[in-house]
Amino acid sequence: MKNILYIALFSSLLIFSSCKDEEVPATMAMNITIEHVLDGQALELNGKSFTLPSGEDFTPKKFKYYISNVVLTNSKTGETYTEMDSYHLISEDGNKNINLGMIPSSNYDQLTFSIGVDEVANGKIDQTGDLDPNSDMAWNWNTGYKFLVLEGEFTNASSGDRQGLIMHIGTNDNFKTLSQPLSGVKAGMTTSINLTSNLDELFLDPNTLEISELESTTIMFGEVAAQVAENYSNGFFTVK
Amino acid sequence: MPLGSPMKICLKLLLLTGIALASACTQYEEPVFLEHELQYFIPELSSTLQVAGFPQPERNIISQEGVALGKKLFFDPSLSANGKVSCATCHAPSLAFTDGVGLGSHGTTGNKLHRTSPGIFNLAWQADGLFWDGGAHDLESLNFGPLTHPDEMAADLNELVANLENNEEYKQQFEHVFSAERIESAQVSRAISQYVRTLISQDSKYDRWKRQDDSFTELELKGYQLYKKNCSTCHQEGLFTDRDFHNNGLDKEYPNPPELEGLYQGRYRITSKPEDMGAYKTPTLRNIALTAPYMHDGRLETLEDVLDHYQNGIQVNESLSPQLSEGITLNPSERIALLAFLASLTDSVFIQKHHQSTN
Repeated sequence: MKNILYIALFSSLLIFSSCKDEEVPATMAMNITIEHVLDGQALELNGKSFTLPSGEDFTPKKFKYYISNVVLTNSKTGETYTEMDSYHLISEDGNKNINLGMIPSSNYDQLTFSIGVDEVANGKIDQTGDLDPNSDMAWNWNTGYKFLVLEGEFTNASSGDRQGLIMHIGTNDNFKTLSQPLSGVKAGMTTSINLTSNLDELFLDPNTLEISELESTTIMFGEVAAQVAENYSNGFFTVK
Repeated sequence: MPLGSPMKICLKLLLLTGIALASACTQYEEPVFLEHELQYFIPELSSTLQVAGFPQPERNIISQEGVALGKKLFFDPSLSANGKVSCATCHAPSLAFTDGVGLGSHGTTGNKLHRTSPGIFNLAWQADGLFWDGGAHDLESLNFGPLTHPDEMAADLNELVANLENNEEYKQQFEHVFSAERIESAQVSRAISQYVRTLISQDSKYDRWKRQDDSFTELELKGYQLYKKNCSTCHQEGLFTDRDFHNNGLDKEYPNPPELEGLYQGRYRITSKPEDMGAYKTPTLRNIALTAPYMHDGRLETLEDVLDHYQNGIQVNESLSPQLSEGITLNPSERIALLAFLASLTDSVFIQKHHQSTN
């Protein structure tokens, strides 16, 4: 028993001393992973039917969007990390990861990013990387990017017909910036932030959408698109 | 070719290289990398365009090499999905870069388009939006429209770039012009834009008259006065367009089938401003005799029809351009004079220059 106590004492000394002696590395690896959820289940394309908040059924076929201008902040010290050329095309059947690489070490407690493409980058489409117009996210008749695309099929509640839903949200007014609190990020430690995007929130909060009731199920510009954008700036993303 | 000649050529080449090498050795010149420099230039501009300088985006400054590459792409049907449609299919140099039909159906699907093909020249100064409704911010962004539209060239940008990568000549040209390791869709559009910006029409009889190198007939002179009085507010002298958008009274109402995304609403579909309902870009009057039929959808066959429209056909609604509320009334002799003046805006020097160089 004594031995064990000694060992415990000794090891705690070791731990304390190691904390004091080891310097925090200047940089830390930072990665953000994203998962898509609808009706409490992992999103799947082209097959599975999900239930929307309105109770309508919905079979998603395409889901992609831009996350841009990623910023990490340590609100205690005022330190910030701002990613350069920060444009990430996230899609259910493609990339769901934002690798920031090695960034300056800090106890970051806030993650800020935008949904969509900022006005400057949205003013032209001859761009490269994730903004290359080859990804079907650029409008070719009205210069700019689709910020969020959701397409699928649903059963119209009144007619009973299968119908397509096309949501292409863009234009500068619908560019939204949001912040999420982070906890447990330690300076110098390799960190992976897990974001969940909850597709229910596209149809909720503050604007409740019932797609069978919409005048058109092609939502591109105008009032309904603005409502969806309000929705994605509210509760659409949460840090797990 | 006689059998001996390749040998002879080889010998000559060897000799020449020898001389070149020998002379290079005796002179102290910087011999390398000269071929990698780009020849940037500003096109010569006529004062009669009434423009200040040659605007171009900082990210895409024109060079001789860039223009040459853009020209090659412009006339290359292999850019399209079926290998048969080039930019020039709808923008033929002989017709001031139009196609001579109302609504074309010479895209990859053969489906009829919704807009008439506009003349593409003097576009460096079209700063306030391209396309009939001004939806494209600049040429670099615009080009992706016709390139990828399913009823036009229907290009898949990834395939297009891969094909260009596999073409040694293109590969070298792109590398030279853009100094990048691989071709990207942005470079394709930028090269085409460089070529298009050099399409400048400024040598019509009107220009020569203004520069006092030629004289107008009495009829043309009378037509010029009529133009000044009746047309020059929107078709401003110089570029012969105010580069703005107007509802010129073609329709009273604008149907809006959702699948066409506001196509019949004109500039309203871009700005959502009520005053832009049914408004389209003022086209230039330069080369107007070559660019029939007229209006954004090519609904008017001849210039006579256009004058008829302005005299008797104006549809009045809330967004009608105020300049047109009374219409434009001309008597038959005034019409003849105005048409004579309009014909003086045909630039055969421009047409021949670009036509010859493509044949």
